[in-house]
Amino acid sequence: MNSQSESSAHSPEHAPAAIDVKNLSFCWGNQQPTLLFPDLTLPQGEHLFLHGPSGTGKSTFLSLLAGMLAPAAGAIKLLGTDIHQLGAGKRDRFRADHMGVIFQQFNLVPYLTAEANVTLPCRLSHRRKAATGEAPAAAAQRLLAALAIPQSHWQRKVTQLSIGQQQRIAAARALIGAPEIILADEPTSALDSDNRDRFIQLLLTMAEQRNTSVLFVSHDRSLAQHFHHQLELGQVTA
Amino acid sequence: MKARLALSLASASLWHRRKVLALVCLTLTLSVTLLLGIQYLRTEVKQSFTSTISDTDLIIGARSGQLNLLMYTVFHIGDATNNIRWSTFQDLKQDARIDWLIPISLGDSYKGFRVVGTDKGFAEHFRFGRGQPLNLAAGHWFDGIFDVVLGAGVARTLTHGLGDKIILSHGGGRTSFSNHKDTPFTVTGILEATGTPVDQAVYISLQGMEAIHVGWESGIAIPGRTLTPEKAQNRDLTPKTITAVFAGLDRKILTFRVQRDLNQYAGEPLSAMLPGVALSELWRLMSQFEQALLGITGFVVVTSLIGLIAVLLTLQTQRAHEIAILRATGASPGLIASLYLIECLALALGACVISLALGALAISMFGPWLLTNYGIQLQLRPLTFEEWSLLISVPLAALLVALIPAFSAWRQSRSQGFGSPGET
Repeated sequence: MNSQSESSAHSPEHAPAAIDVKNLSFCWGNQQPTLLFPDLTLPQGEHLFLHGPSGTGKSTFLSLLAGMLAPAAGAIKLLGTDIHQLGAGKRDRFRADHMGVIFQQFNLVPYLTAEANVTLPCRLSHRRKAATGEAPAAAAQRLLAALAIPQSHWQRKVTQLSIGQQQRIAAARALIGAPEIILADEPTSALDSDNRDRFIQLLLTMAEQRNTSVLFVSHDRSLAQHFHHQLELGQVTA
Repeated sequence: MKARLALSLASASLWHRRKVLALVCLTLTLSVTLLLGIQYLRTEVKQSFTSTISDTDLIIGARSGQLNLLMYTVFHIGDATNNIRWSTFQDLKQDARIDWLIPISLGDSYKGFRVVGTDKGFAEHFRFGRGQPLNLAAGHWFDGIFDVVLGAGVARTLTHGLGDKIILSHGGGRTSFSNHKDTPFTVTGILEATGTPVDQAVYISLQGMEAIHVGWESGIAIPGRTLTPEKAQNRDLTPKTITAVFAGLDRKILTFRVQRDLNQYAGEPLSAMLPGVALSELWRLMSQFEQALLGITGFVVVTSLIGLIAVLLTLQTQRAHEIAILRATGASPGLIASLYLIECLALALGACVISLALGALAISMFGPWLLTNYGIQLQLRPLTFEEWSLLISVPLAALLVALIPAFSAWRQSRSQGFGSPGET
């Protein structure tokens, strides 16, 4: 892969870190305070819990990592590639190829079936499709089964499913095609505590099988126990 | 791969929002049907107008403008400037270049419909449309002096049948006070509908026309001098004048030479004109109105396209989540914008196809009914180039206006943050 061979020239390690953030800051506008983010390095395959109360820029941080917002200063290297050095189109493709995302809610395209929602990344990325090693539909079905979605729901409109099921389908979509990084933005905030722990266990177990790094953001500190690393967000300066 | 994804996403999205979009599509369908229908009617009406009379090479009357001559001989509007002599008609008969002649004698009316005095040549040689002859729906052409044949429109409006006795009026006008009441006519035939002014007239023989005017030389009936039907049988009823003559030539190539010769006729001042040329000229006079009509319909289509865009822009706020998901999964802003273009184009194409089907259905269902009841001839035919281009302009225009929501979606999704908008 291009991104890795590039980075090995710069980095002494064998494999580049999944996420490497340095001196990152962001500003919404001239009148707004500048948000400063902590430096972090997450080795490939390890998981990070990012804790931060509301208003500390969690979603902004994820937007910067996903390459959907441009930073005011600093650098983000994902898998050794500085994504903000890429053009807009290449950034979109990088996201399609290497990242899975799970939102807080409204995770699914309402007019697609559960299965079609899961296979969506394979239709946007050749790399993800090739990585499934089989037909995307079959891969999606195995994931859905592993995430305990009843088979009768696979071809149903996602709007008919429960929130817990919708979040698990979103997890399946993030996992399909084994992307290197999964960004999860409070995916458990709408779930009860039993479902929440089960969801995190399932997600992390399946991510480990794929050597995928999960960056999990939440305001709920009790979830931190599931993760290798944890980090606090919250320094806001003018 | 991207194009297929965009197509499948767009079609799933259209299906998902089918209830709202069906209404928008219906509006667009109706306006496209209107647009196409008016253009179709324009073509048909023009066709039927310019073929009000066919196969007649020259219309000859007293010296006047060609439009005036056309108006009173073919459309029965206005009056003749003068008559032409019977001897002139006899002269024309001798002309070897002329194949056939139909004498026309005008001036009287029947309850507002023109009375046309003519001879058997009218039944034999008169053609309209694409060379169709006149056919009788019932009865036969006039044999006797006081026989009358009714146009389809007259028979329908006044609900006359065969054998009815009718009284003609002197001069034009719906309510005439001087009627030829001594000489009633018997309906012997009713013409089939033609969709031309032929439907709006009654036809009698030249002899009948002459007979009812004996004793009317001063303009009103002089008591005791008018004929009774019995006396008319023994009289020489050869007319002294007629109003105009329709002529068919043996060789069409001689038309202009015959026209020139007739315009310089030594016996009396005549005008000869080519009905086709005069009809096109007349159509040009009226075309401004139908252009305006088409323009108005164009605006109706534009209005419904704007309605379509308004709905798509409203839906855009509902689609924020779905676009956030697509963006986060790696879809480019271009893909998002293309969804809007495809959906709008699909709606417009759908509207066009449905309106084509609607139009074809309407014409095949109501065409025969229109002809018999209103004398409007409307047949199913392949679309002309103009109609196709008008139809194709609708999806093109839809694509053009779809650029508005597409561009706004493109711009929004470029600056879209992670997750739902407003949460970032």
